[in-house]
Amino acid sequence: MNGWNSMDRGLVRSGLDRLFLRRQATFWSRRLRPLWSRTDGRAEVVEIVDETHDTKTFWLRPPRSWAGHDAGQFVTVTCEVNGVATRRCYSLSSRPGEALVAITIKRVEGGLMSPWLHERVHVGDHLALSPASGDFTAPSATRAPLLFLTGGSGITPAMAILRDLTARGALPDTVFIHHARSPRDLAFADELRALAASHRQLSLHLLTDDVDGFFDEATFTALAPDFAARETYLCGPAPLMDRAAGLWDGGYTHTRLHAERFALPTTVATREAVGTPTQATLATSGRTLSLNGAGTLLEQLEQGGATPAHGCRIGICHTCKCIKRAGSVQNLLTGAISDAPNQLIQLCISRPRGDITLDL
Amino acid sequence: MTTATARHETDATAPINGAEFATPTAPDRDSLERELDALRRDVVARLGENDVTHIRNVMLAANTSELGGRALLQFGWGPVTFVLGTGALALSKILENMEIGHNVIHGQYDWTGDPALRSDTYEWDIACTSADWRRYHNYEHHTYTNILGKDRDVGYSFLRVTPEQPWHPRHLFQLPVAATLAAMFQWGVATHGLGADALLSGDKSLREFVTGARPFAAKAGWQLFKDYGLFPALAGVGAPRVALGNLLANGLRNLWTFSVIFCGHFPEGVTVFETDNTEDETRGQWYARQIRGSANIEGGRLLHILTGHLSHQIEHHLFPDIPASRYPELAPRVQEICARHGIRYSTGTFGRQLRSVWGRIARLSLPGPRGVRPTRI
Repeated sequence: MNGWNSMDRGLVRSGLDRLFLRRQATFWSRRLRPLWSRTDGRAEVVEIVDETHDTKTFWLRPPRSWAGHDAGQFVTVTCEVNGVATRRCYSLSSRPGEALVAITIKRVEGGLMSPWLHERVHVGDHLALSPASGDFTAPSATRAPLLFLTGGSGITPAMAILRDLTARGALPDTVFIHHARSPRDLAFADELRALAASHRQLSLHLLTDDVDGFFDEATFTALAPDFAARETYLCGPAPLMDRAAGLWDGGYTHTRLHAERFALPTTVATREAVGTPTQATLATSGRTLSLNGAGTLLEQLEQGGATPAHGCRIGICHTCKCIKRAGSVQNLLTGAISDAPNQLIQLCISRPRGDITLDL
Repeated sequence: MTTATARHETDATAPINGAEFATPTAPDRDSLERELDALRRDVVARLGENDVTHIRNVMLAANTSELGGRALLQFGWGPVTFVLGTGALALSKILENMEIGHNVIHGQYDWTGDPALRSDTYEWDIACTSADWRRYHNYEHHTYTNILGKDRDVGYSFLRVTPEQPWHPRHLFQLPVAATLAAMFQWGVATHGLGADALLSGDKSLREFVTGARPFAAKAGWQLFKDYGLFPALAGVGAPRVALGNLLANGLRNLWTFSVIFCGHFPEGVTVFETDNTEDETRGQWYARQIRGSANIEGGRLLHILTGHLSHQIEHHLFPDIPASRYPELAPRVQEICARHGIRYSTGTFGRQLRSVWGRIARLSLPGPRGVRPTRI
């Protein structure tokens, strides 16, 4: 297919369509696609490591299309969970440049993807992996002091960055503070302690809720009094992140504070009582749905019977992005209001503020 | 007609076919609605990997059968490979139209999120466009099922298949007409939604008709080119063999689909309804009309797959957007619910249902019986 440009491929595709051989073409190309896909590739599970009682690291041989990653970035994993195509984003916990890549996944009770991966995926299986993306990365040559403040599974991108910097001998003065529920929930504890022992510039604090209590501003500022001067990487459960961010001038907008969210913020917008029901007009399919006012716009559309495309459902992968023809929505991550017509919005992090019209 | 007392005495294990049952009264209709809704919720909660695996296995069978069939016609010689090739190609067309196309386009697999199984983009391998089908089958037929005057599937508008339809002199010729329709059924299906009857009666202008027929004409052109132009041409000297094989495969598929579809709503025992009372139907009444307006075909697993599970026409009409492979497990529960509510559940062997349908087409080509009115819901 090397000499073919996109116009040639378009002609072939349209020919296949017109001759209604599409059924065969689609069917067989999907079976053979793993061999030549340029986008979503299939990664082979090479090893599964139990990090804690409920956390596993999946070491994967990346697909041929893999273009590498920067430490701290994430991938979108696509899997059929109980027959349903499901996508979730996971940070890569391994450093770039290695033969294998790793995702470290904590089993979430009541979750869709994590229990499936823990129970049904074994060595030798394949997972569909998107290219890496995200900007929760450390600058490659950094002398500035660093601070990692993580909680729970938020440790994963921090591990990737830390492993990368230590392997390259480029670790600056670093404070690493991690919060876990209890000692048995401390993933990577041994590795972190070994790194701290061999790197004097690494100051490690592994705190557990049962012994040291929850995240607390006083304890934190005692461990890292110069936090405002450090390039900080903040990742963990929303309550921890929101409390911590409050310590920086300007909160999340502070230039040295980098935040990676795994879940939507626990702001008033999402946790408030069910909002007023509204109507959504879907311009392309010509339907009108009633929205019940509970949850994000994506959730309300699904409740109303629509099935918009979606991915991570937390505002990162942009699969759910579509054009809002008319109406007003609020962005749940930034709080920004979108009033103007014909704006691109992400359904999973928007909340309607009245009737809306979407290009769906 | 049985009385209310008799209905309450109905034994759930007694044979259901044969006797007339009265319409369920209001409290019974509500419980019918509740029980069938609960049945639906139960099966939806259990949809998963097995359902997707099933449809993909059928797609694998259909696709390999088509490749194998066309290869045998293209590269083989002699009558044996001709028969096998034609048979394999006919099988692939039957699977693609019945178990795959009809069910996927109904939205039975939209919940998977698989782009190859989306009801709004799947284009099936038959002359009828998916868009026309979605409109006149998914919407019109399933909404107005068996309502005389609104469901144009009753006799496909020009055949008299139930005594409630008024007799017209053209019906005298309906046996050969039906036989022709059967042999060319894909063209009947493809043109059914275009509204030729509206054109003839003057309700639709020629321009409207031609514009509406354009997508069909385009798809039909490519279908004909594929089976009677491209593949024969690729066979060179074998062109007549390939063209004949394709023609017969299409014909076999037509006869099969005609038989299955006509057995779904026209054997003895299926009810035809009048429009007036159906306007304000409750959901329970809708369920009852779907059951009474449909008929099942008894058979084994192979029959179910080859008919696209339209052997379970009743379950399909109750739950058109549930994966059809679930209908056999729902059938015993639906039968039991019908028995308790005094609703007729029509079923019979393929031979019996087919004889019943053709018998009616023959008898009803003559005038009479007089004064048979459609049923009030």
